[in-house]
Order: sequence, then C-alpha cells, then structure tokens
Amino acid sequence: MNKHLNEGQLRAALDGELDSEGLAHLEACSDCRARQKTLQTQVERIADQLTFLSSSVKDSHLPASSALRLNSAQAWRRFNQQKLNRKEIPMYKKIFSTPLVRYGLPIVLALTVILAVPSVRAFASEFLNLFRVQQVRVVPVDFTGMQQLDGVVGSDISQLISESITMQKEPGDPVNVASTDEASQLAGFTVRAPEGATPSRISVMSGASFSFTIDRAKAQALLNEAGRSDLVLPEELDGADVSVQIPSGVSIAFGNCPEPSNESEAERERQRELETSGSPGRVYANCVIFSQIPSPEVSAPASLDIAKLAQIGLEFTGMSTEEAAQFTSTVDWTSTLIVPIPRNAASYQQVAVDGVTGTLIERPSDDAPQFALLWVKDGILYTIGGLGSNSQKALEIANSLP
Amino acid sequence: MDEPLRRESHAVSHPMKLRKSNNISNDFEGLFHEYWASIQRLLLRMVVDPAEAEDLALETFFRLYKYRPAADEQFNIGGWLHRVAANLALQSIRSFKRREQYELKAGKDALEESSENQPSEIFSEEENRSIARLALTQMNARQAELLVMRYSGMAYKDIAAALSLSPTSIGPLLLRAEREFEKRYRALTQEAER
Repeated sequence: MNKHLNEGQLRAALDGELDSEGLAHLEACSDCRARQKTLQTQVERIADQLTFLSSSVKDSHLPASSALRLNSAQAWRRFNQQKLNRKEIPMYKKIFSTPLVRYGLPIVLALTVILAVPSVRAFASEFLNLFRVQQVRVVPVDFTGMQQLDGVVGSDISQLISESITMQKEPGDPVNVASTDEASQLAGFTVRAPEGATPSRISVMSGASFSFTIDRAKAQALLNEAGRSDLVLPEELDGADVSVQIPSGVSIAFGNCPEPSNESEAERERQRELETSGSPGRVYANCVIFSQIPSPEVSAPASLDIAKLAQIGLEFTGMSTEEAAQFTSTVDWTSTLIVPIPRNAASYQQVAVDGVTGTLIERPSDDAPQFALLWVKDGILYTIGGLGSNSQKALEIANSLP
Repeated sequence: MDEPLRRESHAVSHPMKLRKSNNISNDFEGLFHEYWASIQRLLLRMVVDPAEAEDLALETFFRLYKYRPAADEQFNIGGWLHRVAANLALQSIRSFKRREQYELKAGKDALEESSENQPSEIFSEEENRSIARLALTQMNARQAELLVMRYSGMAYKDIAAALSLSPTSIGPLLLRAEREFEKRYRALTQEAER
C-alpha cells in the first residue's frame, strides 16, 4: 500500500485494529507515524474522560453500596418472577383501567367464552344461552405452563381471533370527565364514588359489541401446535356463533396512574420512558383504580357444552384432568366470571365488601406488588386494582361507597 | 510503532450458535448467566445507582427474550446486549431524576472512603465523570452507543456486528464520535465553571 493512511485507519491502529496491509504501511511510513502521534494525544485525552466505562478499571469511584447485589443465579430468579409480573401487569391494566375489547380481546375471550359462557339455558331464548356476571371465582393457574402461548402460537391465536371476529360496535377512546354525574350520564348507569377521596382522573370507556364464529379445525390445530393434542375440542364447537356485548364502564383513578388512553405515539413513548426509569411497581406505587361496569353479556348456542370447554381450558393452563373436573363441577357457568391468577405467586381470600362477598387477590413481589378487589352488586361488576402492597386501600375505598 | 492505545478486549461476544430450536429459548438461561455480570457492571458504571443498574440489566435481557433472533442468523449476542444496555443507560441518565442525588452520594462516599487521598481531586474526578455522562446523553444515539461499546472494551468486529456496520468503518466513525464527545464535554465544562 503506497497511499497514506486516512485518519480512520490511524485511529483503528491506535486500538490495534488496523489490517495487516495498513500496519505494514504504517511501519514503513514516517509521515503516517507522525500523524498517528498527533492523533494519539487527542484520543488519549478523550480516553481519560471515558475511562470510567472500562471493564478493566476498578470501580473504586462507585459508592461502597454499589457492589453488585445480584449474582446471576439471583438475577435469573428475579428475571423469571418479573416475566410473570409482566404478563400480569398488562392484564390488570387491561381489565381494570382500559376498554376491555380494545386492549384485551384475547383476555375477554378467554374469560368470557372459553371459561364463562353458560352451559344451561338460563335466561335466553331456546336457541341461545345468555351469560351475565353475578359472581366472581378465582382460579389459580400455572402460567409457566403457558409459555408456549408466547411467540408463534400466541400470534396465531391472535390472528385466528382477529380473522373470525366481526365488530358491531367499536369501542371509542376513553373520555375523561369532570365529575361522577357527568360519568353517569355518559355511561348510562349510576356511577358510585367513595366519599371523602379526590380522584386524579375519571374516565368513561364506551361499550362495544362483537360476534364471531368458531372454526374448530383451526382452534384444534393451534392446540396441537402448542403440544396439547391430548386435548380434543368437541365437534359441536364448529361453526358456533358467539356474540358479546360489553356496556360502557367507568374508571376512577386515585394517585399517579397510567393513562387509560395509551394509543398515541407520544403516550407510548411516555410509558416506555416511565418504565425504563424504574419498575412499574415503583413508578405507580400509589396508584389505585376503581372501575365499575354493568355485566357484559355473552350469548352462545345452547348446544355448546361450556363445562366441557372450561375443562379443556383449565387443563391447558396446567391443571390435572381431575382438578379441572372438580373445579368445573363447582361453578355455575351461567353467572360466574372466572379470574385466573398465578398459582404460586398470588393469594386470594373472600372478604365482606359493600354488603356482599368479594374476592381480594394479592400478589406480593419486590418489584411490582399488586392487589385487586372484585365484587358484583346489583348487576354491576366492581374492581379496585393497584400496584403496591397496600391492599387495605382497596377495602377502604369499597367501604366508603355511598 | 506505538502500542495499541487500548489493549483490553474482553470476550463480550461470539456469534451465537443456535442449536436445534428455532429460537433462543432453549439457550436463553445459559446466555443469561454468561452475560449477566458484564451487562450489570456496564450499567452500574454508567448509571451509578445499583438498583437502577439491576432494573436496566433485567430490561436488557427482557428485550433479548422478546427479540428471539432466528436460527440461521449469525447473531452477535454480546454486541447486541451491550448496545441495548448502553441505550437504556443513556435514556435513564436523561430521565432518571435521582441521578444527581446518586452521583452526589458517589462523590461523598469516595471522599469518606479515601481520607488519605486528596479530597478535592477525587471530587473533581467525580464531577468529570458526571460531565462525561451528560455529554454522552447529548450526542446522537449511534455515536454515544459507539463510544460506550468501545470504551467498555468491545472489539471492532463486535461493535460492527451490533451496529450493522462494516468493521473497517468503525475507525472513522469512532474518531468522529470522539470529536463530537470532546466538543460537548468542553462546552459542559465551561458551563460548569461559570
């Protein structure tokens, strides 16, 4: 090489990264070596300023408390715990603070169709079963057994749902209002708010309705792909028309809460920013969201054996055949909303609330403790959810309702 | 001829050999253990706050978990992780309100722990590091990533793979980034002196 080296090549040489041809030239060319010397002075000055980044420099400038607190085994445990949290936090956000259909279609379907549609003719015509929520039951689920729902199978399920669904009424964006009176007017039912607490936001989520036709072959193919060909969907599932109506709901936020309308790019950016500046548990630690919505209604052909479908759904989530059968037999599928919770990471108890029996779910965690209180009264489903460990707040709110 | 300026080049990466599975899931735990310490240290050096460094290190691995590179890619995993970590750290320094508090604490701890040294000099070093961190956050993302990756010890071929560049382009780009860094560092120093 006769041509002199450019500055980039001289810079690479300082890092020992110049190719052999360039190096040979540098050794032979005093002009290039002189230019390299000048460059080296500049680069050494910058290297001094950035030396704190170097892995070979002792971290003596860091505070004594900065010793690495997690070894990789501890970190791996925390990673797995957070992985479950991350699956759950969006679910809680979706169920408790955002329009159900827009953000949680698969969840709504899982909750209301696979597990909760009635098996007996209860309220409707002789052709249809109609489902309304009158009570809530919790089912502990082993979410680690559902890892296969991530990735390929998960996206296939979403695709299957989106292809077969017909929206009759799209949900609009949540609308923030100034008072509960205004919320009642917009939502069409009497909104209740705790006395003596000032909300940080009141939002009305408009209702939605949609219907879909089940393609049994495709659904079975997905089960097979997920490694559960032992679970066989009933023949009568094929072609079943299911329709779902979700009324308008209202959410009342207390403290610093995520925005229910996170559709805009700016808002998503803000969420990302927030989430990288600390775990959601820290950022939204004082957030409590009180939601109320008249029961959604689901109608399905009377021929569908919902208990059987529920059994398959429960086995898919990791229950044994016996456990699933036992659970299924104790549930009134005409009126029960099933709420799945992580088997090993959350606890639940029945509590007296608002004059009825409610369910308090608590999930302890270093990063994002969560709680949710659910109850149904006079046809309205109430939930109080929050990130944080102070579940007493939920009971206080519930018990101060007029 | 002079010795190379920076001789360190730790084993941050190798093209990942993806076996059997069609994504990284099967190898993920092994990769996590292999890279956890180096990613956590890099983040700690950048953001100083240990809790924040841990959060960001976990976030880095979550992104890898979600990204799931395909089997036939010659995916440079160490480079990719370092790049994501660098980016998260820079974002955090920009937005993390407690940063100043921690950096101040870092300076005070250094003073208390080295009483026989010259306190003013140590504090000034810490100030310089704060200015350097700020200067990095003011640069365009790619230049800042390049500097963080290089000065944390990555080889050119790994940086090139992580940034989808040719290894021969790293020298010129690095030099440009260093000059930009120095310009911003000087401006911030002058501002601090005023």
